[in-house]
Amino acid sequence: MLFASVPPQDASGVSDVDPHKAFGSKTAPVIMEVFSDFQCPACKNLYLTTNRQLMDNYVTTGKVYLIHRDYPLAMHAYSRVAARYARAAAQLGKVEPVEQALYQNQEKWEQSGDVDGTVAAVLSPKEMVKVRELVKGGTVDAAIDKDFALGQMYRVNQTPTTVFHCKGQTYPYSGAMTYDILKQFLNQLLSQ
Amino acid sequence: MMQSSPFNFRRAIIWIGRLVLGGIFVYAGFSKLLMPNTHLWPMFVLRFSLSMNISSFAQQVESYKMISPEASQVVAHTLPFVEIVLGLLLLIGWRLRLWASAITAIMVGFLAVVTRAYLLHMDINCGCFGTPEKLTGWTVVRDGAFAALALIMTIFAFIEARKPHPWTAPEKV
Repeated sequence: MLFASVPPQDASGVSDVDPHKAFGSKTAPVIMEVFSDFQCPACKNLYLTTNRQLMDNYVTTGKVYLIHRDYPLAMHAYSRVAARYARAAAQLGKVEPVEQALYQNQEKWEQSGDVDGTVAAVLSPKEMVKVRELVKGGTVDAAIDKDFALGQMYRVNQTPTTVFHCKGQTYPYSGAMTYDILKQFLNQLLSQ
Repeated sequence: MMQSSPFNFRRAIIWIGRLVLGGIFVYAGFSKLLMPNTHLWPMFVLRFSLSMNISSFAQQVESYKMISPEASQVVAHTLPFVEIVLGLLLLIGWRLRLWASAITAIMVGFLAVVTRAYLLHMDINCGCFGTPEKLTGWTVVRDGAFAALALIMTIFAFIEARKPHPWTAPEKV
C-alpha cells in the first residue's frame, strides 16, 4: 500500500497509456503527454496549430510519442461530457475527427451544450449509436479519472500542460506553446 | 526652524506604500517570468521556460479582448520587466515622485482593465501573477486598494518633497 499512489509504468516511464489516444512510436526518444480540456481556448490553439505541425514533423517521423490526456477542469460545464465523447470515439478509432470537431466548434457547443450534435456531425449514425452506448456505459469515465489522477500527480494546475519525458528526465510545462518554440526545445532535447 | 518629524503619518504611508507596492511589483514581474514553469537548467530549458511563461501571459493579456494578439505579445514581453524595474526603483526610493507616479498610473490602468472585465462578466484569469487566478470581485477590490495606496503614497511624496528633509542640518542664523 505504500506505493499505491504511484501508477504502474512501462519501460518508457509513462503509465496507463490508452493506445487509442497515443500517436507515434512507443520507442521514440521524446514522449509528450498533453493534459488538455476540450473547453479551454488555449488547448484549442495548441491542438489546431502546434499539434498539427508536431504530428507531421516529429510524431510520424518517430521522434516523438504523443499521448493525449484528459484533464477536464471543474470550472468548465461541458468539458467532461466532451472528454467522454472523445474517449468513446477513440475506442472506435475515430479520435482525430472527433477531437478536431470538438476544438473547431468549441465556441458553439460551449454555448449550447450540444456536444452530442457536434460529434454526430463527423461520425456515421452507426458509429454514433456505439459512441452513445459507451458514453452512457460509464467505462470511459474511469479512463478519464485515471488521466486526471495522473495529472494531479504531475501537479497540473492549468490546461494545457505538457509533460516531456526524455532520457530519464521529466519536464512538465504549463501553457500553450507556439510550434517554433516547441521545435527549438524538441531539437535541443533530441540533440542531448 | 520648524522641522518635519521623520516618523510623521505621511512618511509612514510612503514607507508602507514603497515596501508593499515595490514588493508586489517585483514579485508580479518575477512570477510572470519564472512561474509556473520553473525549470531553469540547462540553458535551453531555461529559455523554453521563459518562452512558455511569456507565451502564457500573452494569452492572458489577449483574453481581455482589448488589444490585438500582436500588441498582447508586446505587452507580455515588456510588462514583467517593467514591473521588476519599477518595483526595485520604488524600494530603493530614488526619484520617488517620478516612479511612484508611474506605478500609480499603471495601478489605475490595471484597475480599469480588471473592472471592465468584471463588469462584462468575462470568465478569464486575471494574469496578475504567474499562476492562474480567476478574475473575481476580489481582484477588483484588491487592485482598487493597491491603486488607492499608490495614489496616496504619490500625493504624500509630493507634499513631503516640499518640506526640508528631517535629517538635514538646521540652517544657522
